[in-house]
Amino acid sequence: MKARRRSHVLAFCIAAATVAVAGMALAQTPAPPAQPASAPPAPVPPATAELREAASKAPAAADLAKGDPGGTVIGNVADVTVTDAKAGITLGDAGNQIGQNKIAINFVWTLVCGFLVMFMQAGFAMVESGLTRVKNANHTYMMNFFVYGCGLLAYWVLGFAIQMGGAAGNGNLGGLNPLNAEHTVSLLGKTWGIFGETGYFLAGTSYDVGVMVIFLFQMVFMDTALTIVTGACAERWKFVTFSLTSVIMGALTYPLFANWAWGGGWLSQLGANVGLGKGYADFAGSGVVHSVGGLTALAVCLIVGPRIGKYNRDGTSNPIVGHDISAVLIGCFILAFGWFGFNPGSTLGASSNGNLRIGAIAVATMLAGCTGTFGAILYMWISKGKPDASMSGNGLLAGLVAITAPSGFVSAPSAAIIGFVAGILVCVSVSFIENVLKVDDPVGAISVHGTNGLWGVLSVGFFADGTSNYGGSWNGVTGSVTGLFYGDASQLAAQLVGISTLLGFVFSLSFAINMVLEHVVGHRVSAETELNGLDIPEMGQLGYPEFVFRPEIAYSKAA
Amino acid sequence: MAASKSQGSYFGLFLVGGIVACGGIAYAATGAGKLLLLVGAVILVASMVGFFKIKPLEGETPVLSSPEAMKWVGAGVATLGWLVTLGGLRVVQGNGGRIVVALIGIGLSLFGILGVLPAAFNKTAFWKKPSGAATRAGVTSRSGRATVEQEMTASTAMGVTK
Repeated sequence: MKARRRSHVLAFCIAAATVAVAGMALAQTPAPPAQPASAPPAPVPPATAELREAASKAPAAADLAKGDPGGTVIGNVADVTVTDAKAGITLGDAGNQIGQNKIAINFVWTLVCGFLVMFMQAGFAMVESGLTRVKNANHTYMMNFFVYGCGLLAYWVLGFAIQMGGAAGNGNLGGLNPLNAEHTVSLLGKTWGIFGETGYFLAGTSYDVGVMVIFLFQMVFMDTALTIVTGACAERWKFVTFSLTSVIMGALTYPLFANWAWGGGWLSQLGANVGLGKGYADFAGSGVVHSVGGLTALAVCLIVGPRIGKYNRDGTSNPIVGHDISAVLIGCFILAFGWFGFNPGSTLGASSNGNLRIGAIAVATMLAGCTGTFGAILYMWISKGKPDASMSGNGLLAGLVAITAPSGFVSAPSAAIIGFVAGILVCVSVSFIENVLKVDDPVGAISVHGTNGLWGVLSVGFFADGTSNYGGSWNGVTGSVTGLFYGDASQLAAQLVGISTLLGFVFSLSFAINMVLEHVVGHRVSAETELNGLDIPEMGQLGYPEFVFRPEIAYSKAA
Repeated sequence: MAASKSQGSYFGLFLVGGIVACGGIAYAATGAGKLLLLVGAVILVASMVGFFKIKPLEGETPVLSSPEAMKWVGAGVATLGWLVTLGGLRVVQGNGGRIVVALIGIGLSLFGILGVLPAAFNKTAFWKKPSGAATRAGVTSRSGRATVEQEMTASTAMGVTK
């Protein structure tokens, strides 16, 4: 009896629950729209009819279930998202899908290129650590590691807003319309952009898919500039002061110049406002990234002074050999790989607006790196008798740095010339900085990035051939960037104004900031720390704990 | 001193101050934004004061003091070069003239950076001094003195110069 009653209760509960769930489901189902009783059916445009016919011929589910080994079945009109499934595909649906695909292609392209640039940090870490002594390996690697975090944080809270806060209007990434506030001043009867004012913390209206893409891409560029300084000041730079410098550079120095060049600032307006070519043209950042990093490195190197033992009393210099040339050369290859994100990625898209030039940009990048290596190897081989490995690596990087600004505007032969000149220039510059200026740069960063960054900016003014067409204009001026050799002297003038700004403003600002830090915090470790190696005093751990150190005194005597 | 807990604490304070100040800048139009900016600035100043207090604990560096005014003159000359270039945009109209003025500005900046500044920093460079104690006060007052001098002598003895 009891068991039967229990089963009745259970059955009742199940029935009640079923009714309740069904009721809820019915409640969530929208009522079918009322059909007008006597409205005549709207005429279907021929294009839409054609689309619907194509849709009707699309492979059925049974066909798709058989698999598509040739890749010819999937990816057709049936994959277009339609707004009204009952009505079927319309021309508007097809157009929306095309627009969505363009933006998707450009997003993916820009993001993947950004990921490649991010990986360049590993290359920098290997190059810089390989060129320093084993007693400072941990410290040098850690600077390269932590600069990523310092830069990213600073750029997120402030730097991005300063750089890109007024950069709306990029059609490749959907317009970037939330970035619509540039602080301007009026001068010479024209309006000039000075810094952006939206995008702090990526909050508010900046919470936008396009803004996120441009943030990621620009952030990794900024971090490249920051990491240049760590190599030049390696083996004697206090970790805390390095951290402070990196944060300030990521928040202020870099974004300010980047705004002027790329964010709608006054350098980019030189063409529109005073007729200098297409304004300052720096396709991927020889000036914005590499010169800013190289010149800041020079400013800090001057302040921090040379390593103990680098110079003799008569001013002659001693070579201080790095501990791992294999790391240096592998690091150079990683950097060359990452550069394929750096330069071609700077189109900010692969679809429309002349972005199919990405192939030409990638080849120009590749060629300049190659001829840069040749330039350096031949210079060292002929002048010193040996094809020096570290200078060969620097030659590759110099060629890549130099082609960064002109890569979007020059032909393959011009790229080869620019790279070859850079390869020679880096050797001459390293010698000049070390032996004439008496500035100790353990990795040659000032020459690779500073000197050749300036050469890259200048070379746009000479070699830009006027064939590129990124949407028919550059910096708001109709036409293509054209240099002196192809008939436009005004572009050279714009490039020279950019170089003057890098030397006169960026260097001076970096110098002033770091002089203040020198007085408040101090840049240099103690002599005792420097001689013992920075790994234990600064990082608390040796980079290579199982290595047996050979004291440098004994090494010297043996030599 | 090398790296220490105090350094870490003041660096943390610097980051907090910077983030709060940037929050203030982001919402500067509002009263709360202004308050955040003020609080952030105070925290930043506090961190700098902290850094300044612990700076002497670092110990003596090999770098000797050099003429301060000359350094700022060098940076000033570099900036002047930039201003000359900008002035050229206003005064000169033709491309040729603007190129010439920009080159003059660049030359002036390079003179400040490559001429004045290295001269200022190298005037009293530690590597120029003889290894006697009196001239290298920064290093010789420490126990590491002998090591420093030994290494410097040894480096010289390597004799391999470019």
